[in-house]
Amino acid sequence: MTRLSRSIGACLVCALFSTLSVAEDTSTFVAPRGPGGKPDLNGTWRAMSRANFDLEAHAAKSAMALREGPIEPVPAKEVVALGTVGAVPAGMGVVVGDKIPYQPKALSKKRENQKNWLALDPEIKCYQPGIPRATYMPYPFQILHNEDALFFAYEYAGAVRNIHLVDPGPAPIDSWMGQSVGTWEGDTLIIVTTGQHDQTWLDRAGNHHSEALRVVERFTPTSSHTMRYEATLEDENIFTRAWTMRMTLYRLVGADAHLQQFNCVPFVEELLYGHLRKNPLE
Amino acid sequence: MKRPGSSTLAIALLLGLGVAAPVRAEQWQSPQMSWGVPDLQGTWTNATITGLVRFDEIEDLVLTPEAASQLEEGTADFFESIDEVPEGELAAGENVGGYNTFWMDPGRRLARVRGEIRSSLIVEPEDGTLPYSWRGYYRIAKRLWGLRSFDNPETRLLGERCILGFGSTGGPPMLPVLYNNHYQIVQSPGFVMILVEMNHDARIIRIEGERLPGVIRPWLGDSIGHWEGETLVVETTQFNPGQNFRASLRHFIYLSSDAMVTERFTRLSEREILYEFSVDDPTTYNQVWRAEIPMLAADGQIYEYACHEGNYSLTGMLSAERDEE
Repeated sequence: MTRLSRSIGACLVCALFSTLSVAEDTSTFVAPRGPGGKPDLNGTWRAMSRANFDLEAHAAKSAMALREGPIEPVPAKEVVALGTVGAVPAGMGVVVGDKIPYQPKALSKKRENQKNWLALDPEIKCYQPGIPRATYMPYPFQILHNEDALFFAYEYAGAVRNIHLVDPGPAPIDSWMGQSVGTWEGDTLIIVTTGQHDQTWLDRAGNHHSEALRVVERFTPTSSHTMRYEATLEDENIFTRAWTMRMTLYRLVGADAHLQQFNCVPFVEELLYGHLRKNPLE
Repeated sequence: MKRPGSSTLAIALLLGLGVAAPVRAEQWQSPQMSWGVPDLQGTWTNATITGLVRFDEIEDLVLTPEAASQLEEGTADFFESIDEVPEGELAAGENVGGYNTFWMDPGRRLARVRGEIRSSLIVEPEDGTLPYSWRGYYRIAKRLWGLRSFDNPETRLLGERCILGFGSTGGPPMLPVLYNNHYQIVQSPGFVMILVEMNHDARIIRIEGERLPGVIRPWLGDSIGHWEGETLVVETTQFNPGQNFRASLRHFIYLSSDAMVTERFTRLSEREILYEFSVDDPTTYNQVWRAEIPMLAADGQIYEYACHEGNYSLTGMLSAERDEE
C-alpha cells in the first residue's frame, strides 16, 4: 500500500467515525442525567417540521387561503400582497399512518375550517394554541424542570403550562391549554393533557378536535440535542380511533436558545378592532 | 423552622441579659435547589389590603394592633356593602354596575413585614408617598387625560387591551391589585421563572445573563438576576414604552422606559417570601423609592387567565363610543 492510499484509507476511517459520532446511535443513547436522576430536558426546544401548516403530508402551494383562478387556484385577495412570504412549503407529514382518522361529519368540518382559514384559525387572532399545537408552532419553547416542578413556557402568545407531577384530579373547567399531568417511564417523559375546550385547532389546515380530546405526549431524548416527540390523540366525538403524530424536537444553542417574547395581542388589534376606530384606516 | 418574630424575641432577651446574640444561627435556613441556590419555588400571593401608598390620615408606617383591627374590619364591611346585586330587571340604560365582591380577591389582611403591621407598602420615603417630580406629575396627568379617549384601542389601558394584567401586577415591581394576585416560581439552573397569574406572563429571569440588544424592549422589561447569599436580586430595565403607565383601582404609577427596578426575594419561612424593591427613575421621581411586600404561600394551583381570547369588553367600549357619536 502506498503512502497516498494509506492516507486516503485513514481519512475514510476518520470520516466514517466522524459521521457516526454526529448521527449518534439513538437506540442506545443515554441522556445526560438531570434533576432526580431523570434525563435533563432543561433548555429551549423547537420543532423544525412543517406540521403547523398541515399535520398531513402536503405539497408546496402559493398560500393557505386560496380562491378559484382562471386556470388554477390563486392566493385569496387578502394575502396576495405577501407573495412568496405567504406561500406554504411542502411537508412530509407527521401523522403515523398518513391520514387523520376523522368521522365523516368531523371531516366536513375540517374542510369548512380550511376554506375559511383566515376567519377561523385561532392562530391568526393570537389565541393560545392548545396542546399539542403549542409544541410545533414555528416558535421555540423553554422547559424548566427539577425534582419538584416541570414547566413549559412558549414563545408564541406567551402561552404556558404547568405540568402537574401529582395528579390533581379532573380539571375544574375546560381551558385553552388544558390540564397536564406528567410521569416518567424510563427515560421518556409522558404528559397527559385533558380539560381543553374545543376552540383550538391542530394546525393551519383546519384540523380540529372537541372538548373530549385526550392527548398523551411522549418526549424521549434521542441525542444530546434531539428528542423524539409523539402525541397520541383520542377524541370520541371527532376521530374513529386514537392516532399518533411523531416528529423531532431540536435543542437550540447559543443566542438561538434565548426565548424571546412574542406577545402578539397588540399585533392583532387592527385586525380585531380596526373597524371600531373613530376614523377607521383605509 | 423558626418564625422571624420568635427569633427577634430571642435576640431581645439575650441583649437584655448582656449576652451577644447568635443572630445567624437563629435565622431560618432556606431549602436549597440541587444545584446549590435557595429554593423559592411554589405558588405565592401578595394580596393585601395595605395599599402602595399610606392610608389617608395615618402618619406612621407601623400600625398598632387596635388600629389594624379597625382597618381590617372596616375593609371587610366595605366589601360586604358593595356585594349587593340589584334585584329584578334593570330599566334600559341604567347602570348595571361592576363586579360584586365575589369577583374580587384583594386579600383581607394588612401586610405584616417582620412582625410589623404596615400602613403602606412604600417604606421610603418615610411618609409613604410616591415622590413624583414635577415632570413625573406631568406624565401622570397627561396619561390620565388621554384615558378620556375611546378613539382607538391603543389609547386604552394595557389591562383593558389584555396585553398585560393591570396595575403592575406583572411588574416589575409586582404590585397587589384587586384580584388574581398569584405567582408561581419555578427554577432551573441559570433561570428563575415567575409566572404572573394575570395574564399568564412568564417572567424568565436569566441568572448572571447579559442584557438584550437595546432595540428589544419587552413587556415586563429585561430582567437579570444574581444571588446575594439567601436573596435573589433581580435588576430590570429596558421596559416597553407602552408599559410606562400602570393603573389599577388602588394605585397608579409611572415608570419611564429606562427606569431601573431592583427586586429582592428572600425566603423567610416555609410559607413566606419577603419581596423588596426599589425604583430608580430620576426623570420621574425626586428620589429612589422603596417598598416591602410579603408574598405568602398560596394553597392550590394557578388556573389559566385567558384575557385576550375573551375580550368582548374592548369591543364593547369602542363600539359604545361609536354608537354615541
